Amino acid sequence: MKKYLMIARSVTHAQRMELALSRIGIRPQVFHAPLELTAGHGCAYAVQVRESDFQVALKAVYGAGANPVAIFLTDGTQFQEVRV
Amino acid sequence: MIYLDSAATSFQKPHSVETAMTQALREMSSPGRGGYPAAVKAADTALECRSEVQELFHVETPEQVVFTMNATHGLNLAIKSLVPPGGHAVISGYEHNAVTRPLAALGAEITVAEIPLFQPEKAPGAFAAAITPETDAVICNHVSNVFGFAQPMEQIAAVCRERNVPLIVDASQSGGILPLDLQNLGAAFIAMPGHKGLYGPQGTGILVCGKDVETKTLLEGGTGSLSRDQQMPDFLPDRLEAGTHNMPGIAGLLAGIRFVRSQGMAQICLEERKLAALAAEGLRTIPQIQVFAKNDLFAQTGVLSFVCKKMDAERVGEELGKRGIAVRTGLHCAPLAHKSAGTLETGTIRASFSAFNTKNEIIQFVETTAQIVSGNIE
Repeated sequence: MKKYLMIARSVTHAQRMELALSRIGIRPQVFHAPLELTAGHGCAYAVQVRESDFQVALKAVYGAGANPVAIFLTDGTQFQEVRV
Repeated sequence: MIYLDSAATSFQKPHSVETAMTQALREMSSPGRGGYPAAVKAADTALECRSEVQELFHVETPEQVVFTMNATHGLNLAIKSLVPPGGHAVISGYEHNAVTRPLAALGAEITVAEIPLFQPEKAPGAFAAAITPETDAVICNHVSNVFGFAQPMEQIAAVCRERNVPLIVDASQSGGILPLDLQNLGAAFIAMPGHKGLYGPQGTGILVCGKDVETKTLLEGGTGSLSRDQQMPDFLPDRLEAGTHNMPGIAGLLAGIRFVRSQGMAQICLEERKLAALAAEGLRTIPQIQVFAKNDLFAQTGVLSFVCKKMDAERVGEELGKRGIAVRTGLHCAPLAHKSAGTLETGTIRASFSAFNTKNEIIQFVETTAQIVSGNIE
């Protein structure tokens, strides 16, 4: 199953995304982002949502002003950056 | 002990603060440093605390709420972000050393907006006259830590907006007592302690930052973000929060803020003002005592200064202390305020109140002061 990872620059940023999503009934997984997704900066957070929730999730985080710094689509083994 | 030194720190805390701190020691590690339960719990608590502050001071986002060690730390961050070495600052005549010493360290030129004690209507004009095209920042305390004198912050902020000068509000004596709205004020920063009117533990403070205000760091170090970069992150709160967070302190502060919100800020303020008025009324009946208060409940908060014409302030404080009454004496780290009020040579005796003081305590304080001053001391 494919999932989207929305990258947050800090834990507070990730929590704001999580809060925005919980308000619309989406319970994302939040975890330390794999280093390869941090554009060489190191240490960031990933907010993971199901593929089916992605569009509405994206709208919610943008609506809350908690825009992700990058977005990746993953099948669990590989990551593909997504431009929106 | 009758504790009347809440302008220094509100020593009596809600029980929930102690409980929250103990729980934090047992259950929380460091926010932003991992995805395991103890780190997540710490991060959730930190966000809850930021969110409470965000609501209380009408801040756009929780990221703009920065944890500091105390108000002095926050003021140093704010002042050093806005005033360059040798820059120009306009301040009120009631500022604490937490404002004047950082400015002195920067070699800043300081212009004091002269405002007579308990004449807040003179403040907007005084600030307007003191601001020049070279002014880097206006810094003003909302309430004087010596006299409880409340400045008309909305009007002062309006002057700053009109003149396009950033405003730093020192809310050390008003945070949790008087309302402050960051967005309406358009202030660059509001700094406050967590351990006074917000009833958190010592070692906590808050710096509320205006949206898109540029900040300079005082400390650099780990933030749990952008770890490969050798420059501090350019985003808040990480930029100003290097190193491990004081989680027991933040958890205690969260409980303290919730206490304030449950009691009602306006109600706490009203009760403190009533106690100040009661103390002023009683002290005025004692010969040789001069009380710095206006016969207006709303001119000041629960901070009251007085002097005794025939007894040194320190001696009065010492005698009160021997009788179990805690007050602060001297210059209260605010020589400029004493210079403005004409008490630089004598200092004052300051009684300051909190939500935990009672009318009976004030009556006992006045009676004891009368006995000490009359020389009728055992």
